[in-house]
Amino acid sequence: MHVEFLGIPRERAGVAEVEIEAGTFGQLLGTLVSRFPELRELVTERGLHSSIAANLNGDEFVSDPNRILAANDRVILLSADAGG
Amino acid sequence: MPPGYHGCYLRIDVSTGRTERVPLSEALLRGYIGGSGLGTRLLLDEAGAAVDPLAPEAPLIFAFSPLVGTPLTTSAKFAVVSRSPLTERINDSLAGSGFALAGKHCGCDAIVIVGRADALSVLVIDDGEIQLRSGDGLQGASCPKTEDTLRAALGADYRIASIGPAGERLVRYATISHDRRHAGRGGSGAVLGSKNIKAIAVRGTQRCDWAHPEALVELSRELSQRSFGPATAKYRELGTAANLLTLNRFGALPTRNFQSGTFDQAASLSPAELGVRHPRVRASCTACTIGCEHLYELDKAGVRVEYESLFALGSLCGIGEGSTVLRASQRCDEVGIDTISAGGTIAFAMECVDRGLVDEKWLTFGSGDAVLKAIELIGRREGIGDLLAEGSRRVAMAVGQGSMAFAPQVKGLEIPGYEPRALQTMALGFAVGSRGADHNRSGAYEVDLSDRVDRRHATLESVQHAIETEDRAALMDSLILCKFLRGVFSDFYDEAAEMLRQVTGWDVTAGELHDTARRIVAAKREFNVAAGWTPDEDTLPERFLDAALPNDAAAVLTHERLQQLVAEYHRQRTNS
Repeated sequence: MHVEFLGIPRERAGVAEVEIEAGTFGQLLGTLVSRFPELRELVTERGLHSSIAANLNGDEFVSDPNRILAANDRVILLSADAGG
Repeated sequence: MPPGYHGCYLRIDVSTGRTERVPLSEALLRGYIGGSGLGTRLLLDEAGAAVDPLAPEAPLIFAFSPLVGTPLTTSAKFAVVSRSPLTERINDSLAGSGFALAGKHCGCDAIVIVGRADALSVLVIDDGEIQLRSGDGLQGASCPKTEDTLRAALGADYRIASIGPAGERLVRYATISHDRRHAGRGGSGAVLGSKNIKAIAVRGTQRCDWAHPEALVELSRELSQRSFGPATAKYRELGTAANLLTLNRFGALPTRNFQSGTFDQAASLSPAELGVRHPRVRASCTACTIGCEHLYELDKAGVRVEYESLFALGSLCGIGEGSTVLRASQRCDEVGIDTISAGGTIAFAMECVDRGLVDEKWLTFGSGDAVLKAIELIGRREGIGDLLAEGSRRVAMAVGQGSMAFAPQVKGLEIPGYEPRALQTMALGFAVGSRGADHNRSGAYEVDLSDRVDRRHATLESVQHAIETEDRAALMDSLILCKFLRGVFSDFYDEAAEMLRQVTGWDVTAGELHDTARRIVAAKREFNVAAGWTPDEDTLPERFLDAALPNDAAAVLTHERLQQLVAEYHRQRTNS
């Protein structure tokens, strides 16, 4: 699946987007941390730090590590406090 | 009087020079705390809803708080409260830094200014002693120039709040500036200008005791430590400018006067791209450990840019050229006008020109020169600028021909950078906001960007979320603490109660502070009712209702749905 980074997740990952294979949201997070260790403070397999949010396909925000993901899903990791 | 307070406010009539030190009861202070809450209470008691906001008798209130002067991070803030000349409803705007400390050190918890000086003047408050000095030589001076000139003349230990030329000319969204920051929204600068006061200079030596100083210092140290963590990383590392790409990604970035939720040049306004041509440095308010300010170099000066300025002077006007947006933001700061209202009013005029309703052919979307020219004309109230200085609602009233439907305002206050159709809990927050469409009094956008709601299909469950963010904002604005701290609290009300216990010695609880927040929100509404509020004001412009957001067919907010949400909001507010 396609993963986009915005805000602090992009700063930590050092890239704007990446392709990852994962069956669940928790697996996706685990893979991301392995690939981008700088995300470790914000992301674990169990979930996200409260300052980070995850969105599925621009529609729904997700947090359940057991959430099943499809291969063609697009996941966006962003700073949760998107206000000024 | 409890520790943390002086137990009085200074009431200054600049018509006569008469000054009173008016006692404040402990019950009133405990009920409204400080900042926005205290300012609103005093404005009600001064009968401020009954007078024209630009009349001499209209009160303008600077309110401090029990936390000002403590080591608690981000607590050096003050609120400016008055009836707004833009909305004619309550206006409470906040700014940070040394003016709050020096003002409170004058031995008061608030400063209430009424009257009108005979000529342009500077109000000097030296440890509580009042003097009105001539403002000769400052007429037309920018905000930074005024502040620098006065500190050079009076002494570097003075802290200055000033207006620019826009405030002198009563632009209805003129700001009050301090230390290059602004009490920005709602036109408090015009209120000060109407009193012929160019600036207020304060210094003082009178400090308050704290009930439990050792515990307070320890609490402050621990809070500061948390403020260095991931909850504030976005503000520290990127600044609020980072929001631009995020909101664009979700189709929520207002573009070309809210005709679209995405901007094809958004990337060029991101912090990374701005930083390529304009090196960036960080700064912070006095007594702040977050350091959210990011100054971009432009002609060897540092320009402070927030998301709201980037969106309002950028995408909203169709401008994708970073240098132009920086210049526009810089000029707004110098002239002393609110960037959101300036950008909103200019973008609205651009659409009027597009539709052939206004004959100013140069004022077109995408023209950076047009934005810069419009700002200058607004600041001088020249040509079309004289009308634009009135704000988008009054422009629409003058233009007519159905233009009110796309004037980007609620209660006259221009809408901040959150597309209401794509963020519908925020849409409710905008509709019911006591000072009009505002992201600082309702933080409901953060609910929309979470798994708590479906952001494009608001339900009655959204109402409680909107109320919670409004209550929290009311309390933070009264304590006063910066909202950028909000992510570091595990239970904000619990921790706020602990802060107040250590400072004041009160046995205050989280439950009491929930009640206090609701009381402050209710007081603002009470003011609005007295000022003529009617229920039909709690809505959004027609543009946002019934039709889908272009490029996002799912983003529809019907008129009926918004009415249901607003009715439920008032039902819950009445019953709470």
